[in-house]
Amino acid sequence: MNRGNRVLLSCVYWAFVLYVFVPLILMVLVSFKDSKFIGFPIRSWTFEWYTGVFADAQVLSTFGYSVVIAVLSTAISVVVGTWIAVLLEGRRFWGRAVIFGLTVLPALVPGIISAIAFRIYARGLGIEPGMGAIVWAHAVHNVPFVVLVVMARLSTLPKSQIEAARDLGADPLIAFLRITLPYLVPAILGASIFCLLLSFDDFVRSFFLGGYEPTLPVLIFAKLRSGMSPEINAIATVALILTAVVGIWAERFTRRLKKETEG
Amino acid sequence: MTVQDPLVRIQGISKSFGAAVALENLDLDIARGEFVTFLGPSGCGKSTTLRILGGFQQPDRGRILLDGEDVTRLPPEKRHVNMVFQDYALFPHMTVRQNIGFGLELQGLDRASIKRRADEIMSFLELQPFAERYPAQLSGGQRQRVALARALAPDPALLLLDEPLGALDAKLRGQVQQELKSIQRRTSKTFFFVTHDQEEALTMSDRIIVMNHGRVEQDGTPEELYFHPATRFVAEFIGETNLLTGKVRGVDSDAVVMDWCGQTLRGHAPAGAPRTGDAITASIRLERLGFHAQRPDTPNALQARVVGKTFLGSRMAVDLEVAEAEGARLKAYVDTDVGQSVGEAPVWIGWDTDSMAVLRD
Repeated sequence: MNRGNRVLLSCVYWAFVLYVFVPLILMVLVSFKDSKFIGFPIRSWTFEWYTGVFADAQVLSTFGYSVVIAVLSTAISVVVGTWIAVLLEGRRFWGRAVIFGLTVLPALVPGIISAIAFRIYARGLGIEPGMGAIVWAHAVHNVPFVVLVVMARLSTLPKSQIEAARDLGADPLIAFLRITLPYLVPAILGASIFCLLLSFDDFVRSFFLGGYEPTLPVLIFAKLRSGMSPEINAIATVALILTAVVGIWAERFTRRLKKETEG
Repeated sequence: MTVQDPLVRIQGISKSFGAAVALENLDLDIARGEFVTFLGPSGCGKSTTLRILGGFQQPDRGRILLDGEDVTRLPPEKRHVNMVFQDYALFPHMTVRQNIGFGLELQGLDRASIKRRADEIMSFLELQPFAERYPAQLSGGQRQRVALARALAPDPALLLLDEPLGALDAKLRGQVQQELKSIQRRTSKTFFFVTHDQEEALTMSDRIIVMNHGRVEQDGTPEELYFHPATRFVAEFIGETNLLTGKVRGVDSDAVVMDWCGQTLRGHAPAGAPRTGDAITASIRLERLGFHAQRPDTPNALQARVVGKTFLGSRMAVDLEVAEAEGARLKAYVDTDVGQSVGEAPVWIGWDTDSMAVLRD
């Protein structure tokens, strides 16, 4: 690569970094502004918005509600997704391509369309809007990500590992539990974090399938409609920090796990 | 070859993959305590045989008897047979101790017995210092030993080894060959070793079975195979050889008399001796050709010119052209001092009847 290209590339890179981070930084800065109006310049600073957020029972319970939904939907998608991945990977049978296609489809359908479809379907089945419906929709939406990540990992598991386990006396179930599953842990963990964040972040499905109790994104949306305020920035900043911490921890954990077992 | 009370009896095993025939009606007995090697090029059926013995593949036809019991349809976990895999297949998330204990655990042994047996096998294979390490933290040779320890731990009746030295570098491989042979002697277990490396086979085996195209080419001790190859394939696959094609002049009690480029030669007769007039091939190993200043009194003697020499260290490769026969060439290995002493003048080459094997086809 010549010098000109290198300079150009680094310019593009830094432009991208600015593009991604400047809005976030502005959002965080405004959350400390001692005034109700969002905008610059910031003349005086305060923690008031944060103390307000942590004192606001509605925000806290909404936050908890979102976390519960994220955890439940992730648990379901991980079990179902891993199951499908194990059934599909490395096997050839009639209709495999169709099953794979159907499995991945929910990830490709636009959120608004699947949300409306779920809403209609839920009413048809007599499922009340609320936590159950949201968990269901999130789980279905997230399964494809689990399937893809787990299948990718599974395809790198040497066949001889399972044969060695069988050879040493393990029946197929024990071989799966003792060899395949531990091998999949980094992938499952990675997929789980991704699912948690997707669910926590989701607005459209939660909005269409929710009952009276809003999830965090829905609450923020509701608050936005009644006027912008740095309180929203404070809520978003807390959410940002939490998701970043979870993401970074997961990344480090999987890396350590890989290092230990793969050298 | 039939054996009294064999450990393994393979009866008429055949296996095809689509149109490709991997094994054709294989019959084989393996005695207890033998180090048997299946030798052949890739695709000869040796690995298929191993996988059928391990239970990873089902034969299309035939039976496998282990200790007199039909195990043909038993899954791998129900067979008293363990395998050392080509890539070792160590479990990456388990320590050396846990890897070795895996088979013991599944045999239903209690904690204390598992520990005792694992310690025993680890000290036997000098793996104690690595007991708490993960496979990723071991060298290739150490991994190979762990794989062996893991397979030996449940005390199998038969140990299968699928080219387990392929991943080691040349120097280490020689060392591990010695080690493996000595482990086999000390445990007096039956080892069933698969390789495409003839040198490996010659070094370690009590018995070698040479396979080609799903059939047994020859079955015998390393010495038999090397000095008395039965077929052209075996003669060429194991070691280097001179192949002499000619016609049978006559057959007497222990030798075939043949004509090669106008020379009369005597060779070791194969089973089912050929008849006079048959076209045949004989094989003579390079180091079996002796150099003499005078006509030697060996049954076979020729005068030849040296047309090329290659220095190989302790010995030399000498290319020879037989004096009275146009285009008749031989290659010989001689000690370097002998090789250096021969020059332009013709030399006498001599060898015994027994040194030259007349081949079966």
